[in-house]
Amino acid sequence: MIPRYQKVLFFVLLLVSVAMAVLLVRLREKAHERLLKGEDLAPTTAPVVAPAESAMLLVANDLDGTLLQEQESLPLPQDPEARGRALLSKLLEIYGAPDSTHPIPLVARAVQQVFLLPVPEAAEKTRSGEAPRGGQLAVVNLSGSFADGHPAGIETETLTVLSICGTLHANLPQISEVRFLVDGKPRATLAGHADLTRTYLTTEAVSEPQASTAGATP
Amino acid sequence: MAAVPGFGQAVSPSSAAGPTPSVSQPAPDTVRPVPSRVVEGGRRFVVVLDAAHGGDDGGAQLADSTAEKTLTLALSVRLRSLLGARGFQVTTTREGNVSVDANTRAQIANHANAAACLSLHASETGSGVHIFVSSLGPTEPTRFLAWKTAQSAFVTRSLKLASTVNSALEHTTVAGGTSTSGADTGPIPATLARTSLLGVDSMACPAIAVEMAPIRDANRKVVTEVTDPDYQTQLVESLAAAVLEWRTDVEAEYRPASSGAGKTP
Ligand SMILES: [Zn+2]
Repeated sequence: MIPRYQKVLFFVLLLVSVAMAVLLVRLREKAHERLLKGEDLAPTTAPVVAPAESAMLLVANDLDGTLLQEQESLPLPQDPEARGRALLSKLLEIYGAPDSTHPIPLVARAVQQVFLLPVPEAAEKTRSGEAPRGGQLAVVNLSGSFADGHPAGIETETLTVLSICGTLHANLPQISEVRFLVDGKPRATLAGHADLTRTYLTTEAVSEPQASTAGATP
Repeated sequence: MAAVPGFGQAVSPSSAAGPTPSVSQPAPDTVRPVPSRVVEGGRRFVVVLDAAHGGDDGGAQLADSTAEKTLTLALSVRLRSLLGARGFQVTTTREGNVSVDANTRAQIANHANAAACLSLHASETGSGVHIFVSSLGPTEPTRFLAWKTAQSAFVTRSLKLASTVNSALEHTTVAGGTSTSGADTGPIPATLARTSLLGVDSMACPAIAVEMAPIRDANRKVVTEVTDPDYQTQLVESLAAAVLEWRTDVEAEYRPASSGAGKTP
């Protein structure tokens, strides 16, 4: 015969495990809902709580290969990384517009993250010796669908890279270098041309305004 | 790049380096620079033509469902025969629809001791011809150059080459070109800029990338497609003229003052 207290204990434990299972399923559902909601809330525009501020965007023009300064008013979060992401999202939104001077198909969450890190001091010098040391390195994580949909060409890809670098520097002057990731991973080129394996100096975008100045007569 | 320092820092054809100073093995870590790209008298003036993309890498999708790789090869073939007819020694990075990686392209250019390398591209974006020089900052040539940045020792000369091509394009006449007189033809619009391209950055010779794009009006409407035969002809002819001019300039630079500079055969 099973003692009575054991029967009671058995049913109590059974009840507890059923209750825990129910709770677990409920929590999982809740977490999933929260995640989906987060995806919805996160996207291209900054949270509405941030006040609208004026920002300087460097907008590319494919016709003459230049970067034009454009004043835009948009909600900007205080956190520099979120700010960087909001700025770039706005820039890519402009490129996705129908009358864009630098057309790139618009995709959701094209700029996944912007991370800011101190510039690695000891790192070997990459390009053009006279790099400004110190400052911050911005790591821009682009989405794969953005890179895959980007038009192929040296000019268009270069302008995208430079306008991102220039826009970051214009609003967050502490950023002196920029690196790119696509879906969190290094990628050789943006769309077959512009080298994404290197570190870009934000001064390149500033001094780039191309066409007329780059030439040197022999 | 901000400041472009003095252009007069050309490497003198010194006798310091050995007789065949070129990169031979696919060991892309360092590249030995070529101290005398031009053999005195201009007998070995090698031009490298690099038809971009190829094989699995189709490049951009152009008008009339033409792939960039097909157009660049066609341009390379036409330019090679134009230059061959003018007595140039021409080396190409590919002759058919094959994949060639960026390192191999640079190895071919470096092995050829090229006096000029033209990397040919085509795109559907922008207008006219885009001429690109590496965005690497200029450095003094040293005995060994880092593979990934070998071009830095040649950037100053590459800028001159780009400028020569730019001038040659001013003498073209195509539909929709940049005309000041209101005519519907004019020179091919050209822009000159800097970029970083895998391959070109590793070339130890004067090197530029030339990207052919449709010619557009002020409303960004295409006037002349990249597939237009006349546009292509004008482009390859002006590139050939630019290379001819480039040889004259380079020979004048290296020839002793007494022997009458600037002769072209
Ligand atoms: Zn290309």
